[in-house]
Amino acid sequence: MSANLTKQIFRPYTGEKARITRAYDYLILVLALFLFIGSFHLHFALTVGDWDFWIDWKDRQWWPLVTPLMGITFPAAVQAVMWEKFRLPFGATLCVTALLIGTWITRVFAYHYWNYFPINMVLPATMLPGALVLDAILMLSNSLTITAIFGGAAFALLFYPSNWPILGMFHEPIEYGNGQLTVADLFGFQYIRTGMPEYLRIIERGTLRTYGQYAAPLAAFCSALLCSLMYTLWWYIGKWFATVRYLNKI
Amino acid sequence: MATTSEQLPLLAENDNKVPWYLLDLPRYLKGFGILTVIYIGLRLYQGAFAVLSGLDSTEPAFEQYWMRLFKIELGVLVLFVTGMWGYLWFSRDRHLDTLSPREEIRRYFTLTMWISIYTFAVYWAGSYFAEQDNSWHQVAIRDTPFTANHIIEFYFNFPLYVILGGSAWLYARTRLPLYAKGISLPLTLAVFGPFMILVSVGFNEWGHTFWFREEFFAAPIHWGFVIGVWFALGVGGILLQGVTRLIELIDELEEKP
Repeated sequence: MSANLTKQIFRPYTGEKARITRAYDYLILVLALFLFIGSFHLHFALTVGDWDFWIDWKDRQWWPLVTPLMGITFPAAVQAVMWEKFRLPFGATLCVTALLIGTWITRVFAYHYWNYFPINMVLPATMLPGALVLDAILMLSNSLTITAIFGGAAFALLFYPSNWPILGMFHEPIEYGNGQLTVADLFGFQYIRTGMPEYLRIIERGTLRTYGQYAAPLAAFCSALLCSLMYTLWWYIGKWFATVRYLNKI
Repeated sequence: MATTSEQLPLLAENDNKVPWYLLDLPRYLKGFGILTVIYIGLRLYQGAFAVLSGLDSTEPAFEQYWMRLFKIELGVLVLFVTGMWGYLWFSRDRHLDTLSPREEIRRYFTLTMWISIYTFAVYWAGSYFAEQDNSWHQVAIRDTPFTANHIIEFYFNFPLYVILGGSAWLYARTRLPLYAKGISLPLTLAVFGPFMILVSVGFNEWGHTFWFREEFFAAPIHWGFVIGVWFALGVGGILLQGVTRLIELIDELEEKP
């Protein structure tokens, strides 16, 4: 595909025509920013939601599995259009940055200032390192297959280590009420939420925290496999939605 | 060339330094400003009265502060949709076959501004107030589908972005030749898919008659909203349709410094 591109002769616009296209670019930029904050954030909040909202939900079993798996969806769909049609190699980074902007605004004004949750309790996770690698692999390889396998896997595997510097301090063990907890657990018990029973039922079910240090890497590798498949699926979903068809009737 | 109210600004030579293709820019910026004031105003109202009078729907204060707001919102929305969609339809261009390239370019810019305003409303509905719903229902037990956040999110924000999306669709259908000849599939997907999010409110509230807490925000009962928002990806197709046509139109323009 890139070989064909180089054969074409591009004549850049000049004068008024250049200004028209540049003005259109800026309009699209504003449009895309709010589109991806709004749509990706809603998708993310209602599929990953609780694991991203709360510090005590950021466990070793589900959080490293669910977050990249649902987080790679919109980046793949947007890359399918931005890279294939416009040769813009930042679809994933754009989506993840938009998501971060949306989540940070909400955590500060909706959680902290409205309902007084400490900001440390509602820190969003970041997928930016994975998104940068995903974009870089697509740009360098120009291949859906390579990006799905290596980029999708990298997106999942980078998630836990890239969040560890932000969240590691909340996994410090403490003794509380004759039991061992993490600082994150203590946040959860101090700030009772209506979702509390589900937290107790879902988080780290089965391991009882006796599976040693292996739960997180196992979840990450499981996520890596699933992300490769999810990336491919969403690439085609993105292409399908970016149809240019006109219909006679609906 | 056909002359409609849409073209009147072009006829008077524009002396306010705004390029001809951005004639609607001031209106676009005003739209952003008005929406920002409305959304921040609603959030400040929540901050002032949600804890004070929004925790128990059986209290008289709830009726006064929240159900009254709900009724005002519905009135404003009915007036707005009637006025806006009526204006867009009745001022439609009936001579699209004689449209000049310059005017068509200007209308593509205006359509892009309409979609941009639509996505700004999608931001407030899909990002801020949507996640705020989780925050509120983690501290307040829901005893009504008309909670202090739902009255803003479900019954104002959702209908408003549907109206704005519908306005973008109507603008394209009534003022741009390609959109008038055929129905743009991506534009239709991007507008009618998120419309289904509004419809999903019924499923969501039915589900919450079984669970009156916010046990699990990522629960399947919320996935109707998720599927609806995927259709926003249709904007990629709208962009491709627009860029393809704009290139043709720009090639028809004379070179100017």
